[in-house]
Amino acid sequence: MYETTYLRAGSLDEAVAWLREHEEARPLSGGMTLIPTLKQRLAAPSHLVDLTRIDALRGVRVDGDRLFVGALTKHAEVAASPVVASALPALAQLAGVIADPQVRNRGTMGGSVANNDPAADYPCAVLALDATVVTSQRRIAADDFFVDTFETALEPGELVTGFEYPLPLRGAYAKFRQPASGYAIVGVFIAQFADRVRVAVTGAGASVFRWQDAERALGDDLSEAALGNLKVDETMLPDDANGSAAYRAHLIETYTRRALQALLAQPRR
Amino acid sequence: MEFTGSQTIAATRAQVWNGLNDAAVLQACVPGCEEFVAHSDDEYKAVVVASVGPVKARFKGTLQLLDRDGPNGYRIIGQGEGGIAGFGKMTATVTLADADDGGTLLTYVAEAQVGGKLAQIGSRLVTSVANKLAAEFFKRFNATMSASADAANPATAK
Repeated sequence: MYETTYLRAGSLDEAVAWLREHEEARPLSGGMTLIPTLKQRLAAPSHLVDLTRIDALRGVRVDGDRLFVGALTKHAEVAASPVVASALPALAQLAGVIADPQVRNRGTMGGSVANNDPAADYPCAVLALDATVVTSQRRIAADDFFVDTFETALEPGELVTGFEYPLPLRGAYAKFRQPASGYAIVGVFIAQFADRVRVAVTGAGASVFRWQDAERALGDDLSEAALGNLKVDETMLPDDANGSAAYRAHLIETYTRRALQALLAQPRR
Repeated sequence: MEFTGSQTIAATRAQVWNGLNDAAVLQACVPGCEEFVAHSDDEYKAVVVASVGPVKARFKGTLQLLDRDGPNGYRIIGQGEGGIAGFGKMTATVTLADADDGGTLLTYVAEAQVGGKLAQIGSRLVTSVANKLAAEFFKRFNATMSASADAANPATAK
């Protein structure tokens, strides 16, 4: 690791001010990606601005038909939260299958979503549930947030402060795990709302994306039959050591079916 | 593990070919390029700050041009050596063709490899990241070429 200066922010304003002041500073949340990167000397930020003591950015609550999750809420906290389990059980289930217990007890929702790893789990929930990403300066719709591999709509010095999830009637997440890392080789989240169905896919592409053909089919008829012989366009999928494009397309189709089966087995909210 | 892409460039095939062989143009296309020095007619030495997700590291590298077949295309090899961080290498075969509207269609077929610590944390990401870097390179190339073609022919400038 290269030498760096550690700063512990006591408030959001302090963190934002430090990030503005030091151009080469990086915000530190759970550090589940950043710290290994620093240990490998693949980055050399001048300062690390530790956000984890900003208590105002932690916790979950339901207000009306929305679930609010603070950016610093750890995966294990979401997985074990009775509030999440009753309002949005699919999100608690997803949080419980991220990586391993060590990561779940350090990693945060804000860190995972801001990093936008193409195989991360949370971006899939944020996109399928049409959540709003709240930042230190604005509110960003999920459809506008995820841009490309490791790229989001966030500007330098802009911090994710929390998430607002509209509560679906039902939702489900099905994931094919990479056995060593726990990353999603393919993960599919289906959310059923009163007026529409959204389907998001992670792991298979350059960044999380919506499978709109499946959304249309399931929006008309929420059943396995509606998926029929629906095929994913292979040309938009990468062909690499983790799997060929055809294999990934097949996994998306299979895991969409599994997520749908799990969804249909639930009572409506 | 190949990936492909294309750009339609508002410049003639000869202009595009000249651009592909112009050190100043190539330098402008490499994201995060700090230094770019001709080592021979078909090899350049570069220092590049690669910034992708959590990674932000300085790489010393070379850019080689092979199999020149003007004005139809060539092969371009970019290699980076980040010391303890490992190495990355990308090969792209570039093909030029006349586009319908008088411009030029540039297509590329590329392949990437990484080794060392970069591979340890990044092997699952190689294709996505390389795809993104190549797209950025040729997007910048297109912008540079279209801008200089406009400057050369102000009457056709949009």
